[in-house]
Amino acid sequence: MFRSKCFVLALVAAASAEAHIAFVLNSGDETVSVIDTASQKVTKTFRVGKEPHHLMATPDDAYLIVANALSNDLVFLDRQTGEVKRRLPNISDPYQIGFSPDRKYFVSASLRLHRTDIYSGSDFKLLKRLQTPKAPSHVMFDQKSTMAFVSLQDSNELAAIDLKTQEMAWKIPIGKQPAGVWMTPDDKHLLIGILGENYVEVIDWRARKKVKRIVTGEGAHNFIPAGDGRHVFLSNRASNKISKIDQQSLTVVDEFPAPGGPDCMDVTADGKQLWVTSRWIRKVTVIDLATKKIVKQIPVGRSPHGIYLYAHAPRR
Amino acid sequence: MWNWITTRFAELHAWTFETLVQPALYRFGFMNWDEQAFEATELFLIGLIEVLLLWAIFRPVEALAPVEKWDDRSEAHVDIYYALLSKLGLIPLFFFLLLTPAFDWLNGNLRMAGIIPPNLEDMVPALQSSAVLSAVTYLLILDFFDYWRHRFQHRFKTWWQLHALHHSQRQMTFWTDDREHLIDQAISAAWRAALGLLIGVPPVQFLTVTLISGAIESFSHANVRVKFGSVGKYILVSPHFHRVHHAMAFGYDGPAKGCNFAQVFAFWDVLFGTATFAEEFPATGIPDQQTGRDYGRGYWSQQWLGVRRLIGADGK
Repeated sequence: MFRSKCFVLALVAAASAEAHIAFVLNSGDETVSVIDTASQKVTKTFRVGKEPHHLMATPDDAYLIVANALSNDLVFLDRQTGEVKRRLPNISDPYQIGFSPDRKYFVSASLRLHRTDIYSGSDFKLLKRLQTPKAPSHVMFDQKSTMAFVSLQDSNELAAIDLKTQEMAWKIPIGKQPAGVWMTPDDKHLLIGILGENYVEVIDWRARKKVKRIVTGEGAHNFIPAGDGRHVFLSNRASNKISKIDQQSLTVVDEFPAPGGPDCMDVTADGKQLWVTSRWIRKVTVIDLATKKIVKQIPVGRSPHGIYLYAHAPRR
Repeated sequence: MWNWITTRFAELHAWTFETLVQPALYRFGFMNWDEQAFEATELFLIGLIEVLLLWAIFRPVEALAPVEKWDDRSEAHVDIYYALLSKLGLIPLFFFLLLTPAFDWLNGNLRMAGIIPPNLEDMVPALQSSAVLSAVTYLLILDFFDYWRHRFQHRFKTWWQLHALHHSQRQMTFWTDDREHLIDQAISAAWRAALGLLIGVPPVQFLTVTLISGAIESFSHANVRVKFGSVGKYILVSPHFHRVHHAMAFGYDGPAKGCNFAQVFAFWDVLFGTATFAEEFPATGIPDQQTGRDYGRGYWSQQWLGVRRLIGADGK
C-alpha cells in the first residue's frame, strides 16, 4: 500500500516537473534557454548549434527536434530535461521543419539556399531536394498528407509540393513576403501571414484561389492554434500585436499586445497564457489571454525565435 | 556590470531597429530583410561604440607617447573616413549584399550535387559546447588566413598595387587600419566568405572575432612608442611590430624583404620566418613617394589612383 502510494506520488511529481518547462531557441546566440514555466525563470542555457530557428516534437512525442540552419543538423532533445540525446548531421540548412500528418515525410525548408528537402519521416533519408526559389520560409500540410505548402518569401508566392511525386505541383502569386502558413481544421483553406503587408491571405488551395484577406496588423507573420479547434493566433511582427482569428468566420475576434517583434508562439495546456518570442528585445513575453495583459517578460538570448512548451494546448 | 551593459545595449538596439529601421523596411517593401537588417543595426551600433572607445582611449595614448609629431595632421585625417565607413558597417554591408547571392548560389548548387560544406564543429565537437573555446579557435583560424592573405597582398604585384594605398600613409595612426582600396576590401570579403563556406564560421563568432581583431589591429597602427616586452612581442602584434612592417623600404618591399605580416598574433611571423624585431620605430610610407609618386590625398583620389596603378595607367 505504502509502495503504491509512493509510486503514485512519484508519478504526480514527475508529471508536475514535466509540465513546467519551456524551450526557447536563441537564434543569434546558438543556444537554447530552458525556462521553468511555474517560476517563469530561466533554469539553464546551453549551446545547441549554429542558427537554431525552429523546433518541434517528434510525432511520437519522444523528443524535441531543434533545427540548426547553419550547422546543417537536427538535434534531438529530451523534452523533460533538455538533455541532448542525438545529433543528426547532413540535414541541409534546416530553417523551418515539419512532419506530414501521416508521418511518412519530414520536410525542411532551406530559406537561405532556396531549397526544400523531403526526407523519409522514419529514418530521415533524403528522398528529394527541390529547387524552390526564392526563400522558402514556412511549411504546412493538408490533412491527407498529399501536399506540402511552402511560402516563398522573396518571390511572393505559395508553392505546393506533391508529396507522392515529390515534384512542385503548382505555384501561385501572393502578397509581399509571405511567411507563416496554416491549414484550417476543415482542410479547406490555407491562411498565409503576409509579412510585408498587414493581412492574412486566405487561399482555397484546391481551387488555387484567393478567397479573402483578413486584415490583422503590419508584419503578419506566424501562426499557432489556440487548442480549441476553432481559433488560431497570429503574430504581427511590425505592429507588435497578436491577432486571434476565428477559422470558421475567417475574421479577427480579438487582439493582444506583444511588444518587441513577436514571432513564434505557444499556448499553455490550460489555454490561459500565450508565450511569445520577442525577437528584437531578447525576451519571451507571457500574455494572460483573459485580461490581455503582459504578465511577464523573461530575458533570454539574442534573437529568440522558436518556442515550445512541454505542457501546451492541443495543436488544433 | 557586464550584464547591465549588455541589457542597456539590447534596449538601444531594439529601440533603434523598431523606431528607425523596421518602419522603413515595411514602408519600402523590404520586410524579408528584417532579420538581416536587425543584425546590421547591431553591427552599426557596436561599430559606433567601438569607434568612440578607440578614439577615447587611443587618441590620448598617441598624444602621450607619439613616435612622430606632426604640425600638420591633414594627411592623417582621410583615414578617419576609411575607419568610419568600415567600422560603422557600410563597407561590410555593401560587400555582404554584393557577395551573398553569389556564395549562396554556389552553396545551394553544391547541395544539389549532394555536397554539404563541412562545419568545423563536425570535426571538433568540443567547439559546440564552449563559447570561449569556439571564439579563440575561430580567432586563430581567421587570423591565420589573414596572415596569408596579407602576405599575398605583398607577394603578388597586381594585388600590391591596391594594397599600396594602405602603406602610402606617412602619418600612421590608429585610424589607418581600415585605409584600404575598395577592390582590396572586396577581395578580403570574398576571402573570408570563402573561408566561411569552407569551415562554416558561425555569425556570432565572426562578430566577436571581428571586434577583438579590429581593436588590436587599430592599436597596432597607432602612432605610439609601445612594445609588448620580451615575451609579449612573440604573441600579439604591437604598434612597434606593425610599424616595422610599414617601415619605408624594408618593411614590405617585395617578397624578399617583407616582414611582420601578422594581423593579431605575431607568432605566425615567427612560425613562417617573416618576423623582424628591430629596435627602432621607423618612418612609414612607400619609397617612391619620396621621388614624387602620388597616391592621392582624398578618399576618391586615392581610390582612383589605385585603379590606375592596377591597370598600369599611371606610367610607373
